[in-house]
Amino acid sequence: MSCPGEGARRSALHGLTPAKRWLRDSRAYKRTNGPNDRHGAILKLVVCVKQIAILGDEVEFTADGRDVNPEHLGHSLNEWDACATEVALSWREQHGGGEVVVVTSGDRKAETALRRCLAMGADRAIRVESASIDPISVARGLAQAIRDEGPGLVLCGVQSSDSGQGSTGSALAQFLGLPCVAVVSSLEWNGFGPAIVKRELDGGLIDVLEVDTPALLTVQTGINRPRYATLRAIKLAEVREIAVVASRDDRAPAYRVRRMFPPQKGNGAQILKGGPEEIAQQIAGIIKERLR
Amino acid sequence: MARDHRYDVLFEPVRIGPKILRNRFVQVPQCTGFGSEKPGAQARHRAIKAEGGWAAVCTEYCSIGPESDYTPSVSARLWDDDDVRNLAPMCAEVHAFGSLAGVELWHGGVEVSPSETRMVPRAPTQVPSDGLHYSRPLTYPREMDRADIREVQQLYVAAARRAMQAGFDIIYVYGADSYLPIQFLSTYYNKRTDEYGGSLENRARFWIETLELVREVAGDSCAIAARLAVEGLGAKGVGLDEGLAFVELADHLVDLWDVKVGSRPNVGDTTSSRFAGENWQAKWTSQVKAHTVKPVVGVGRITSPDTMVKIIESGQWDLIGAARPSIADPFLPRKIEEGRLDEIRECVGNNICTLRANWGQQIACTQNATAGEEYRRGWHPERFAKADNADRDVLVVGAGPAGMECAIVLARRGMRRVHLVDAAPALGGHLLAVARLPGLGEWARIVNYRQIQLDKLRNVEVILRTRLDAAAVREYGAEIVVIATGARWATDGLNHVTNASIPGAEGKHVLAPENVLDDPDQAGEHVLVYDAEGYFMGAGLAELLAARGRHVTLASPHGAVSPMSDLLHEGIELRQHLRRDCGVALKPQTRLVAIQNDNCVLRDENESEFQLSVDTVVLVTMRIPNDSLLRELRSDSEALTRERIEGAFGIGDCVAPRLLADCIFDGHRLGREIDSAQPGTPLPFLRERCLAPVKEPADQLYTA
Repeated sequence: MSCPGEGARRSALHGLTPAKRWLRDSRAYKRTNGPNDRHGAILKLVVCVKQIAILGDEVEFTADGRDVNPEHLGHSLNEWDACATEVALSWREQHGGGEVVVVTSGDRKAETALRRCLAMGADRAIRVESASIDPISVARGLAQAIRDEGPGLVLCGVQSSDSGQGSTGSALAQFLGLPCVAVVSSLEWNGFGPAIVKRELDGGLIDVLEVDTPALLTVQTGINRPRYATLRAIKLAEVREIAVVASRDDRAPAYRVRRMFPPQKGNGAQILKGGPEEIAQQIAGIIKERLR
Repeated sequence: MARDHRYDVLFEPVRIGPKILRNRFVQVPQCTGFGSEKPGAQARHRAIKAEGGWAAVCTEYCSIGPESDYTPSVSARLWDDDDVRNLAPMCAEVHAFGSLAGVELWHGGVEVSPSETRMVPRAPTQVPSDGLHYSRPLTYPREMDRADIREVQQLYVAAARRAMQAGFDIIYVYGADSYLPIQFLSTYYNKRTDEYGGSLENRARFWIETLELVREVAGDSCAIAARLAVEGLGAKGVGLDEGLAFVELADHLVDLWDVKVGSRPNVGDTTSSRFAGENWQAKWTSQVKAHTVKPVVGVGRITSPDTMVKIIESGQWDLIGAARPSIADPFLPRKIEEGRLDEIRECVGNNICTLRANWGQQIACTQNATAGEEYRRGWHPERFAKADNADRDVLVVGAGPAGMECAIVLARRGMRRVHLVDAAPALGGHLLAVARLPGLGEWARIVNYRQIQLDKLRNVEVILRTRLDAAAVREYGAEIVVIATGARWATDGLNHVTNASIPGAEGKHVLAPENVLDDPDQAGEHVLVYDAEGYFMGAGLAELLAARGRHVTLASPHGAVSPMSDLLHEGIELRQHLRRDCGVALKPQTRLVAIQNDNCVLRDENESEFQLSVDTVVLVTMRIPNDSLLRELRSDSEALTRERIEGAFGIGDCVAPRLLADCIFDGHRLGREIDSAQPGTPLPFLRERCLAPVKEPADQLYTA
């Protein structure tokens, strides 16, 4: 077989210890590819994900005051991106196949997020080697890798929970030249025609759109409950090879962080005083007042 | 993190006589079941509190002589030099952390039944204790003559000398709850007509003279404290007026007032959270400050640093006293100091400490599984050694109290990955519903505390809404599997009185506790709650249904409804509350014989049967472990080996239904010993006991 993906998978499992061989033989590893796109190729859904930083109890800044000291950070797959991955995975299940490719931008450490997606069931992962953090540069790098994949659908999270710019998705759509629908809360798509997507608007209104594919959708949390990964799937994902693509973008980043600091405490807070019942009454009063 | 400046006031040093408390946190006298007999356990239990930031750490009640013997309840003792030797390690260990050690010199007067020493207790007058009258009848004290008074006072003096030798910094002359000095003060016990009876000055004489004598012995080397139930809350103690007057009379003799409220039988100052919220004693004890120039410490199950600040800033007291909050979290002061408020393990006030320590067992705590295990198992509440098998992944199935606790301990021991999986949409297991029972809201702290810690632990992943069967568990990919699937209530009335089900339990109008908790409104107008368990569920459901307008009868085969609640210091109040406030008809000593369509057949204590017409029957009889998953996994060890699972262990109710405290302990224990040769079997612990002399043949011991 000459498929590069297959080759990569094989080489990763070559010469495995008995424990790793046991992992390979387990059910979670075996997967079939299903529906093809209209040209007969396997239909691809690309999901862009980010490994986000989580603040711990203590926050300390680096000496230059431009970032949080990484010692105090935890890391995780961005919640919105987990939902986007789930959209792709459940679409693949409902339609009996297709390939889910997850892509991220960053250094080697960012692969943890990709491995989480692989453990959830993604077929393949690509990392765009890049030190960029501004969304435009990130999108530019991602676009290079995604263009080569020729996906039927590109899914992003609406935003990341750490920097919260919310613009990688739309920038990426621009670079890929794809139609973009933001803040999607539901997807219906048969794999080739236009996709029907829903968006939740203010006041509980639902906006139903039909969008030509390929398209880029940014996915809102709440669209689904991302599946968990078993420990076995997590271990399997640890030995999977992740394709690394060098970013061909040599432009200077669009922005640079100048300073990061906790906001000064304001005096706007209203301190309620009294016993629990009095305080509860005051809170109820404030809510009623504001709702009016 | 640094301390929030709001709490600075709590960390100010306070002078008490010749000694200085490094901050305002005092662990007031509190039972352990260790006394002077288990010096290692006593020392470690107290030392960990000193390490956790308590500026003073006291013993439990400490008997000054053999007549003050309340066996099998365990007190400390300072009867001889060997007791000095056994309490000295506590002082040394507490001092090592910069804290003061306090001892509570105790003579029980009429409130003891010296079953070990077989002495007759001495008291102001021959008035038997109303409390002991029920639990240990035929305990008559002997009225003290003047010589007796001198003799007993010399017991205090001798004990104070020994306390100083042991290294104590604070010597209490202990009155509250209703011990000898209070017995002199109270007209309930004191009917004397000499200079020790009659007027308040006369009734105060014994305590004041004793304080003078002890003070003389202590000189400048120890602080002298008096513990006083400033309001007796009943006939036995003193009323608030006399309590405050006594404070004025004795103020020149004490360096520290430790004030609380008194005890009625089975309703001590350790009132459960069902009946007393945080700082509940303030109503009475806040008044002491106006009558003294000395520092005042009080109690009231205070766990919130904001309440503490309010207490100090409002001038309620000078020091924050705690027994139960210091058991639930020995590191409470340090966590405030270090800005780790979300790590405070708050006392839930279900009084398991009281149950255990007061009834001749060693202390235990629902929230803090390490309480009492500090020495014998070497458990530190805040320190966890990295497990030898920390490279393993663990799957914990069931996120109730036992499963949550186990997952936390495993994660703190550095296991590579811990997955905590539960079928429910939220953490907490059955406890979520239990905490919705009337009066048990604080029990939710058990879940909340653990949820917050799990959230912080980066090697834990919580997976909800996921039910795993045996095949899924085996395929999950964990090397270690822990099953904590809890228990359910019998639906057929199976109970431990008859060891059989109850005929008619299959009727449609018969509900299990889970049904009522899910939807109380499915109960009809007239409800029989049959409680063969005798703990909180029967009483809780009866109250819940009564609050929804149902006519509830609570029948129980026990001598009194909810007998467990008596051990937890809430029985009398609970039954009163059910009867008086909730309108529940209580039928103790009554068995449910059969359930018919609209009738129940019951049998009373005289063995006569009677019928009760009801619309709904709620059966609170026996809990059945949810052990099918555990059994299935353990029955096929080959399958476990095939899947590289090194061990599958059960914890908590799914092994055998039990107290919450024991479930949490079980989960904690497994986590602590996950790298032992047989994690399923507890490692032996250090046993402090007397050993026979090695050289003498055993037969000589008995013939000598």
